[in-house]
Amino acid sequence: MGTSVQVTPLCGVYNENPLSYLVSIDGFNFLVDCGWNDHFDPSLLQPLARVASTVDAVLLSHPDTLHLGALPYAMKQLGLSAPVYSTEPVYRLGLLTMYDQYLSRKQVSEFDLFTLDDIDSAFQNVTRLTYSQNYHLFGKGEGIVIAPHVAGHLLGGTVWKITKDGEDVIYAVDFNHRKERLLNGTVLESFVRPAVLITDAYNALNNQPSRRQRDQEFLDVILKTLRGDGNVLLPVDTAGRVLELMLILEQYWTQHHLNYPIFFLTYVASSTIDYVKSFLEWMSDSIAKSFEHTRDNAFLLRHVSLLISKSELEKVPDGPKIVLASMASLEAGFSHDIFVEWATDAKNLVLFSERGQFATLARMLQADPPPKAVKVTMSKRVPLVGEELAAYEEEQERIKKEEALKASLSKEEEMKASRGSDNKLGDPMVIDTTTPPASSDVAVPHVGGHRDILIDGFVPPSTSVAPMFPFYENSSEWDDFGEVINPEDYAVKDEDMDQATMQVGDDLNGKLDEGSASLIFDTTPSKVISNELTVQVKCMLVYMDFEGRSDGRSIKSILSHVAPLKLVLVHGSAEATEHLKQHCLKHVCPHVYAPQIGETIDVTSDLCAYKVQLSEKLMSNVLFKKLGDYEVAWVDAEVGKTESGSLSLLPLSTPPPSHDTVFVGDIKMADFKQFLASKGIQVEFSGGALRCGEYVTLRKVGDASQKGGGAIIQQIVMEGPLCDEYYKIREYLYSQYYLL
Amino acid sequence: MASTGPSQSLKRPDSSLTRGDQLIITPLGAGNEVGRSCVYMSYKGKTILFDCGIHPAYSGMAALPYFDEIDPSTIDVLLVTHFHLDHAASLPYFLEKTTFKGRVFMTHATKAIYKLLLSDYVKVSKVSVEDMLYDEQDILRSMDKIEVIDFHQTLEVNGIRFWCYTAGHVLGAAMFMVDIAGVRVLYTGDYSREEDRHLRAAEIPQFCPDICIIESTYGVQLHQPRHVREKRFTDAIHSTISQGGRVLIPAYALGRAQELLLILDEYWSNHPDLHNVPIYYASPLAKRCMAVYQTYINSMNERISNQFANSNPFDFKHISPLKSIENFNDVGPSVVMASPGGLQSGLSRQLFDMWCSDKKNACVLPGYVVEGTLAKTIINEPKEVTSMNGLTAPLNMQVHYISFSAHADFAQTSTFLKELMPPNIILVHGEANEMGRLKQKLITQFADCNTKIISPKNCQSVEMYFNSEKMAKTIGRLAEKTPEVGETVSGLLVKKGFTYQIMAPDDLHVFSQLSTANVTQRITIPYTGAFGVIKHRLKQIYESVESLPDEESEVPAFRVHERVTVKHESEKHISLHWTSDPISDMVSDSIVALVLNISLEIPKVVVESEAIKTEEENGKKAEKVIHALLVSLFGDVKLGGNGNLVISVDGNVVHLDKQSGNVEGENEGLKERVRVAFQRIQNAVKPIPPSVS
Repeated sequence: MGTSVQVTPLCGVYNENPLSYLVSIDGFNFLVDCGWNDHFDPSLLQPLARVASTVDAVLLSHPDTLHLGALPYAMKQLGLSAPVYSTEPVYRLGLLTMYDQYLSRKQVSEFDLFTLDDIDSAFQNVTRLTYSQNYHLFGKGEGIVIAPHVAGHLLGGTVWKITKDGEDVIYAVDFNHRKERLLNGTVLESFVRPAVLITDAYNALNNQPSRRQRDQEFLDVILKTLRGDGNVLLPVDTAGRVLELMLILEQYWTQHHLNYPIFFLTYVASSTIDYVKSFLEWMSDSIAKSFEHTRDNAFLLRHVSLLISKSELEKVPDGPKIVLASMASLEAGFSHDIFVEWATDAKNLVLFSERGQFATLARMLQADPPPKAVKVTMSKRVPLVGEELAAYEEEQERIKKEEALKASLSKEEEMKASRGSDNKLGDPMVIDTTTPPASSDVAVPHVGGHRDILIDGFVPPSTSVAPMFPFYENSSEWDDFGEVINPEDYAVKDEDMDQATMQVGDDLNGKLDEGSASLIFDTTPSKVISNELTVQVKCMLVYMDFEGRSDGRSIKSILSHVAPLKLVLVHGSAEATEHLKQHCLKHVCPHVYAPQIGETIDVTSDLCAYKVQLSEKLMSNVLFKKLGDYEVAWVDAEVGKTESGSLSLLPLSTPPPSHDTVFVGDIKMADFKQFLASKGIQVEFSGGALRCGEYVTLRKVGDASQKGGGAIIQQIVMEGPLCDEYYKIREYLYSQYYLL
Repeated sequence: MASTGPSQSLKRPDSSLTRGDQLIITPLGAGNEVGRSCVYMSYKGKTILFDCGIHPAYSGMAALPYFDEIDPSTIDVLLVTHFHLDHAASLPYFLEKTTFKGRVFMTHATKAIYKLLLSDYVKVSKVSVEDMLYDEQDILRSMDKIEVIDFHQTLEVNGIRFWCYTAGHVLGAAMFMVDIAGVRVLYTGDYSREEDRHLRAAEIPQFCPDICIIESTYGVQLHQPRHVREKRFTDAIHSTISQGGRVLIPAYALGRAQELLLILDEYWSNHPDLHNVPIYYASPLAKRCMAVYQTYINSMNERISNQFANSNPFDFKHISPLKSIENFNDVGPSVVMASPGGLQSGLSRQLFDMWCSDKKNACVLPGYVVEGTLAKTIINEPKEVTSMNGLTAPLNMQVHYISFSAHADFAQTSTFLKELMPPNIILVHGEANEMGRLKQKLITQFADCNTKIISPKNCQSVEMYFNSEKMAKTIGRLAEKTPEVGETVSGLLVKKGFTYQIMAPDDLHVFSQLSTANVTQRITIPYTGAFGVIKHRLKQIYESVESLPDEESEVPAFRVHERVTVKHESEKHISLHWTSDPISDMVSDSIVALVLNISLEIPKVVVESEAIKTEEENGKKAEKVIHALLVSLFGDVKLGGNGNLVISVDGNVVHLDKQSGNVEGENEGLKERVRVAFQRIQNAVKPIPPSVS
């Protein structure tokens, strides 16, 4: 029997909630995607909480909140501890997205669902794969091979292919078949007849205008606003679709020599672009090609300035400008604040490039007609003053004392542990550690204080040899004059301090910009104050689809091309899901499922299979006929056993029984028409039939659109009176097939 | 039946059945030598070429691998491991000037640097126009044909599956694993198992290959630990410049040079007293290739990606580029790194000629030196050298040979092979002597493991035989029940790449992109006679002619031979329906012929009773025919009792029973002849039974 496959949605079916599904293959549980929304509503994760501990592996498909937002929380609070698999960009950009989310929240609320350390430790478990890398699982998952494939949509976006015993389970959500500036289109269409396909219905009801037209409208509306002395706000995600938007703007600005300033404002803007620059091999062919030829990195941005704090934006002189700011939902982050400021001016434009998440400010504003006024909560973090400060300090003092006590104890332990151990452990690359010059590593002890704050919860990479807090025993040598010192140690103190701050960045693996880093290290006691206010929305609101997902029509044609044996639909509004389900039942395959949350459906294929060895004797008598990628032959064989006990096929000892002749091939009427025409026979279509010559007609019967799915064999009817032509045409028709 | 008929006569020659399929590996270059790496491999009609280099010690056509040994048009895939000239530089020639029409793959970083390096090579190698293998344009054109592959990405071309592992040698260097029908071959290219300042160590593949084609550059030598080498390197430079000398470091433009620059830059920042001594990196490629190094940090190690977060480690603070010797202001001590590494020509040679006679100066050779180059000569510290203008000059400068070249040494090679345990090892890319020593040592090491170790010379083929079992998966309806031994399985055998599936014809469209079709034919024939006549005539030919009940068709109809339906459409027409297949087509043709025949004859009224009579007559007629034929064969044939025939030939008499075909008589020979003759006559006279099988 085939491999057992069960699918249980944990979140995001019959609505547009975040994505999270449990796919279990022969008892091995994959959690595919682990999303959360911009509200960070823990109640959404309840189904996940119930199964988190049974998950054996996590597969991430896209680097945005909807696909991986709940990972830190699930790892910390829900007992999820499985290894995570993703592509390199999904890992990096996902990490940055989570930082941005955290920092935006922390700025305006007492956000406590997870911390930066939780994010780091959650992403520590990620195994990074490249596209079409076949990764063989081991242990419990022995025999299962997972492979990420290009999905389009976001950088590093993945269609997961899980293979066991030659049966493919494909998870493809938010794919984009169109080639864009940034990314190549998905390779989903190259998979044929997988056992199970899990896909989304998110865009089933949407249709898109052509890319050229859409890009033009996009630029037109922006330029109109700028020329009218207005500002443009593009609420964007942290590291996803914004990259494509930036490329569009860059390209246009360069071509038309515009100099309206463009700003990219997130807490992690500069790191994002730094990392994106090194992901060229994940981008479209044209970007890769231009780099190979001219070594111009597409993300050496000439017109877009990267900002990581709002104060930098405020320093910019007044005048029309474009700001791309996160979050796309307008619920938090810089986009929220800027929206509140700019919404009241009719000259300004707020341009949404994607549909807002359900029940967010962005979604409200995208309603038709847009609301005249919206209520928003403005929060900010202010330093404590007066009594509050005193109380806080007292509290801190107490905590600090306790911690100091603990720390001194643990320090002692550590000293014992590290004494005698070789101090070369720190960095294996340092040439000569015995004479400590101003090598950066020596700076570490000086910033011990800093490090204590920093590395709380910092987990060393598994590859590191050093203990968690590298302790350097100063190899003090003594001579007649006392301890041998290196004057440099004292001379270049200033430089050391510089390096110390660098070290800080280094410890965080450089994931943070210095500016945002200051936010975490900002120990000034503070509190959050918020007030609600009503904002009159006077600015122009525009929504354009830059989501980079295949539209309804394309999804349908892709699905019927892929023609899975079983199809599971998730993620999409109830209408969209139902619509796509009905469509697929009719045109794709008879087994379409759209399960509810928590409902486990069994999509085990009812396929029977057994393996046989083909003996050389048999094979030497088989004549293959080549048909595209395939070679086909008819075999009649007798079953035998090999020495090892497996079945083998031997040639028949008796003459083979007769069998019905099989016509292999697929003819398209239009192609056949051309073929006949080339043979000098008059052909034309009339009334759904092909009229060949004067009398003979050819018809295809059976529903042509129901191809693939149903057990339909092409039926061709040939009619005509007795004449030479009839036999001639029959001859031509036969020539289109392989007769076996 | 009809379909299996012809295939029986076309049996394939089964000569190699017992030995398995032949796998051939031929080094076209780098066999018992270093340089012009190029290894040809062919198995099951699939052909692969690994690497496509030139020999740095030769120029023009002489530097090419022995391409004339093979037919370039048969090669399916060409895999290039890294960008070094001895691995990639004949690629433009091979792509543009031969009949090669397969596909070429290399990693992203390799491709980006390949173009820079080769354009530089074309400019630097000052050979006559006839000797030029290719020009800048050829390189550009070749860029369009090269496809990229990422590490671990599995690709399939023509049934050849392949993927690559990190090789550690230079940025983007890869080891290729090729899988053809289950036989795996690993080609290491140049590799290093030691992590350095910017590169990862070579990975150990998780699958054991059947054949490992491995480099043997360093043979049985062992490298010093890396930090010792680095210390020797920096010490040699430091002492030379502190004595006021100049240091020349001839290095390949890309690859090891970047590693050395990282070392020098760090050393300089740690020694402020050296800040007044300039370091020049005299390669026109210097700046151009940096963008590549800055971009593909993901191919480098953790150390670099950590540093990258703060500042670009390849943004050197103490090293300045030097365009050409004209821009070089040679006053006081300096360190110059210049290409080429072998001191054949170019800037490194110009500087060498300038500096070689002064004993304060030093030349540090940081990489492997190829046989036949000046660098190899000066290692032995001869008294004199020949400079570029042909004059001899005394060699007074110090020569240090500190190898940083990231090739595996013996310790690395042997642990690598021990981990992999390949049953066949093929040594390439090594001087004959070194290779011989390595071979001996490996033979002793793997003495008890039945490992074959081969070191073929250029163009010397290694042949191996692999008996790959062909396994097929029977799926779908055909597999509902697993058959017992002795049962028969009949179905379509579908082959894609090297995978086989057996399925029922109805399942073909389910499991493959192929589909099956049914062709239904309907032909109308003018016929004005009585419908019964046709039926009657057909009954004489076919055993099974059944009238169809009226419910199924409004008009009278009958079915011939269980295949073809004949309908009386109207007074003037009849129609034939059938589903195409060779037998049905034949049956329908005979019906058509018969109907036409009847139409020709004058229509006559046929009475039912006459039909019966005709049958009796028919029997009599058959008997007459049999009698006549036997007479013509044997002469004296008489009617005996009980319907027996008495045949006498030359006095021998036999009795033939017409019903059973039994023959009785004295003469065995005659008996046999009569029996055969009678059988044949009967076959010819009696109608064909309906089940043709």
